[in-house]
Amino acid sequence: MQQAVFLIALAFVPAIGEAIYFRNKVSWQSPVPASQIVSVTQARSMGENVMWVDARSSDEFGQSHIPGAISLNEDDWNELLPQFLGQWSPDKRVIVYCSAKTCNAAGEVARRLREDAGLQDVFVLDGGWEAWQQAKK
Amino acid sequence: MTFSFRLPRWVVWMIRSLIAATFIYAGAIKIFDPAGFAVDIDNYHLLPWAVAARLAFYLPWLEIVCGLAVLFGFLYRGGLLILATLITVFIAASIIAKTRGLDITCGCFGHASKNLSFVSHLAIDLGLLAGIVCLWLIQTPARKPA
Repeated sequence: MQQAVFLIALAFVPAIGEAIYFRNKVSWQSPVPASQIVSVTQARSMGENVMWVDARSSDEFGQSHIPGAISLNEDDWNELLPQFLGQWSPDKRVIVYCSAKTCNAAGEVARRLREDAGLQDVFVLDGGWEAWQQAKK
Repeated sequence: MTFSFRLPRWVVWMIRSLIAATFIYAGAIKIFDPAGFAVDIDNYHLLPWAVAARLAFYLPWLEIVCGLAVLFGFLYRGGLLILATLITVFIAASIIAKTRGLDITCGCFGHASKNLSFVSHLAIDLGLLAGIVCLWLIQTPARKPA
């Protein structure tokens, strides 16, 4: 029993280190609800009725992004939000994406679009940019 | 009264290696995708997200630490005890989820296990549990690889 307690305690050490390392890449309090997640296939089936939002950093957006996407990240929220709202139309669904499944930026931007901007049809792309790239192959 | 038995050392070493390798692999593959594993835990609908997110960081390391303990014979029985508990909890959670009609991905082996059926998962887990119990009951567990 003492051995088990020691092992339980020992596992905390690397786990805490990993949690610190990934602290900004995991949503700690609430996941994005399944109803608000769309796959690449689902997103593509929506055709032109989609407004893509890139929640990654401006640098990453500058390097490459989904065609037609608008950059909107939390770092430059106040500057980018007016630009986004200028192009937004109520008949379009907003799909937010970030780097990969492990990032939570898309979930956060989607949440703020709902709560701060009062938008309704806001979704998160499952797997993010990584999934989009893989789907292209 | 205690029940115990003997097995050839090479058989013990094979079971040990197999169980240890399985848990080390299962833990290692999940370390790189904590968010994905948190979602897998959350899919069971047994724990709040905040707990699932934290367990997603802890459980893989517990599997690795215990796997190494079993492999190298350091804190051997403690490792076996924890692994048996983990696998039992997982089997119970899987059965509960199944009876509740949840179509879940167990996430035990990351993306590698996404195509395994419920029955396959259960068979693997019961096999692992049987191996762990077997190691526990062996009279004199080898401290070092044979």
